[in-house]
Amino acid sequence: MLSSQPHRIHARHVALVLTAWAVAGCARTGDAAHDSASDRAATPAAGFVDDFGDTLHVREARRIVSLSPTTTELLYTIGAGERVVGRTRYDVWPAAAKRVTDLGPGLRPNIELVMATRPDLVVLYAANDNRPAARALHAAGIATLSLKIDRIADFDRAAAILGDVTGRRAAADATADSVERTLARVRSAVATLPRPRVLWFLWDNPPLVLGHASYQSELLDIAGGVNVYDDWPDAAAKVSLEDVLRRDPEVILADPGADVMVNRSTRWRGVRAVRDGRVYAINDTLLNRPGVTLGMAAASLARLLHPGWEGP
Amino acid sequence: MIHFERVVLRYPRREQPAVRDVSLVARRGRITAVVGPNGSGKSTLVRALLGLLPLERGTITIDAADAATLDPRERARRVAVVPQRESPAFPLPVRELVALGRRPHLHALATWSAADSRAVDDAIAAAGVGDLVDRGSDELSGGEWQRVRIARALAQQGTSLVLDEPTTFLDVAHEMSVFELLARLAREGKAVLLVSHQLNLVARFADEIVLLHRGAVAAAGTPSAVMRGEILERVYEWPVVVVRDPAVGAPALVPLRGRRD
Amino acid sequence: MTRRFALIVVLLLAALVLVAVAGVALGNVRVSPLGAWRALRGAGDPLVVAVVRDLRLPRVALAALVGCGLAMSGSALQSTLRNALAEPYLLGVSGGAAVGAVLAVSSGGGYGVVPLAAFAGAVLAVVVALVVAHAAGGRADGRVLLMAGVVVGAFANAAIMVVLANAPPNTIRDATWWMMGSVSAAEWSGVRWLAVYVALGGAALWAIGRDIDALALGDEAAAALGVRVGRATRWVYVVSALLAAATVSAAGLVGFVGLVVPHLARATGLRAQRELIVATALIGASLVVAADLAARLARPPAELPLGAVTALIGVPFFLTRLRALR
Repeated sequence: MLSSQPHRIHARHVALVLTAWAVAGCARTGDAAHDSASDRAATPAAGFVDDFGDTLHVREARRIVSLSPTTTELLYTIGAGERVVGRTRYDVWPAAAKRVTDLGPGLRPNIELVMATRPDLVVLYAANDNRPAARALHAAGIATLSLKIDRIADFDRAAAILGDVTGRRAAADATADSVERTLARVRSAVATLPRPRVLWFLWDNPPLVLGHASYQSELLDIAGGVNVYDDWPDAAAKVSLEDVLRRDPEVILADPGADVMVNRSTRWRGVRAVRDGRVYAINDTLLNRPGVTLGMAAASLARLLHPGWEGP
Repeated sequence: MIHFERVVLRYPRREQPAVRDVSLVARRGRITAVVGPNGSGKSTLVRALLGLLPLERGTITIDAADAATLDPRERARRVAVVPQRESPAFPLPVRELVALGRRPHLHALATWSAADSRAVDDAIAAAGVGDLVDRGSDELSGGEWQRVRIARALAQQGTSLVLDEPTTFLDVAHEMSVFELLARLAREGKAVLLVSHQLNLVARFADEIVLLHRGAVAAAGTPSAVMRGEILERVYEWPVVVVRDPAVGAPALVPLRGRRD
Repeated sequence: MTRRFALIVVLLLAALVLVAVAGVALGNVRVSPLGAWRALRGAGDPLVVAVVRDLRLPRVALAALVGCGLAMSGSALQSTLRNALAEPYLLGVSGGAAVGAVLAVSSGGGYGVVPLAAFAGAVLAVVVALVVAHAAGGRADGRVLLMAGVVVGAFANAAIMVVLANAPPNTIRDATWWMMGSVSAAEWSGVRWLAVYVALGGAALWAIGRDIDALALGDEAAAALGVRVGRATRWVYVVSALLAAATVSAAGLVGFVGLVVPHLARATGLRAQRELIVATALIGASLVVAADLAARLARPPAELPLGAVTALIGVPFFLTRLRALR
């Protein structure tokens, strides 16, 4: 029987899968944007080269359209929130962001709507779907910054760049440092605990699970777990349930709703994690983006993986 | 017996009726032929008999039962019709084609019985298609095909047999063999109603001829009463003479060259 | 003829048993024949028991039922509409079901809503097609019905594009996966209700099997044999559509089965519709179970969409049949 749609489609969840999926697609097609990203140094004087390879010169953006939850949240965190004049449907943190004009789902944005907010900087998620938009905005003379933020290192770099283009680099560095310190604390706190085999279940039909190249996989490692699909090079893997059974995960992490499906379905009942009652709903408000909540996300994961452990 | 009584038929969304006020009777033991030019309403009568066209007025009775209220299955047990056009969507063996004639006798849950097999065997023998039973319907000549269809009609074991232009496209020998077969069936007690363009053969074999013209009966009666030059000229709108066939003595139509006007 | 039919049924049954055994024994998890046998009875390695009893058995059963339903539906339609290219999806079934499923997916319907929505969509599309055909043709003309189905299908495709144009990626992903067909989500509950539908649909077609044989000769010949042509045609149309709708709601769109299997069945020499119903059911079941096995084994750890596999098998086969027809 065909079923297994999640109970509700979370706007936030959408963003997560969207990210994972886009990365999976790009990595396979050999998009070099990510690989070269960390080598590139931000040099304000000469201008920035973003993840689409476009150069832009911005000192202090005043009206910013931010079309990804991660960058919107970062802008607020570093004290540039009041300059955000446009966001995606899914950018709802902090609460103040909800008052900003909603410009849709963030991929393939409506250029006219974006321009109507009269931005002097547009921040896009660097997915192939956004290339036409970046080109059109450049052509219209609007500074456009396309960032690929899929791994923890990407977050640090994005914070630095956004700090530079808003003139708030010090606040940005402080934010990044705080995240890094929390991550390090979690890592050392669970270092001696046993490391359970974990399946991170993203979506059903067909089962889509977390692979290696993702910030979630990094968080899992920090929180003291082993991704059973860590050998899969992409961010996400389409797998068969038989293969899941073969890898015998001890813990399943799933979005709220999906955990109910996994527990209820007769197809999943042979999986060790289901038999042992270790299917957990993740806190998706913390975990669905590689943003300022990365540290708290790692701590929350560590608590799920190590029952009885109370935190760093 | 089939009795058309003051029948009026009209195709949907047509101004003029295709058949107006036609009465005719096909009795057991006789061949009754319906003839007439193209579009005179011959095949329309057959369609009405099959229930494919509702009667606008008049009645059709089959062995004293009103065809309009007769269950189609019961009708098919009484009257076997060999329609003008028919082609199996997928070729099927002759024996299976003939066996379909038992359909009116078999209710949804009825199983094939020995009596059904016997009826099929008899029909195959009567129609003289015994040597064709293992062939496919796509491996038959035109004459063989018509005889197989007559065999299927015989398997229906009705009292009446209706054939719509059964000898179109057949050569002389096959044409004759079909007519001889029909004559024998009539002698054996069937009511045979025949729609045909073959005026000369009809004149030799039929007991009664009904000549239709623009949906109405132009003449009816014995072959010699209907096969008259002035009647046929008016109906077919072509110069003809009717002669007496020197060999068999039946009236014979000879169309002339060129229109006389 | 009956002996020949019995022989064909025995051979087809043997083939079905063979692919079903393969379907249970083969997969990403290696299972020995003995291990599979023990697992069927719940003994042995719990992993193997879970794989065999919770995953493989229900999906083999679902695949078989989907194949049965589509093939019987296709056989009845090809004969009734007198068209070797007729198949259940052409009736608007696939389009309507897809609209229902896509709407359910995009509105975030919970578990179990998608099959119901797909079924409702399919039935609605068939009703619309019937109404369109009635308005256009009056009588139940096979060609008009077919064209009405095609028109409804085209409209459904447009509706799907409208719904999906601004849908979030995972809605598109779900809808796409659904439209490509799969039995990977098979569970016994779904298998049970599809079995009921297929049994009822098969019985209904069997009951009018002789009428379908008559309809295959043409309207006039069928009427001459006492068939109520309009009523029988509509009956076949509705039963076939419901059968197809049930399979579609259970497994999404699995193309070409309804088109190809009747040709395979007729190639054995069978012609009587009742015999064809049995033969197509067996062939359809074997074909879809085999196709699902191929979908599972082709590219581990992922699975191919079942509909893509049946299309890959079906299209070349059908091209050769087309050549034979002309």
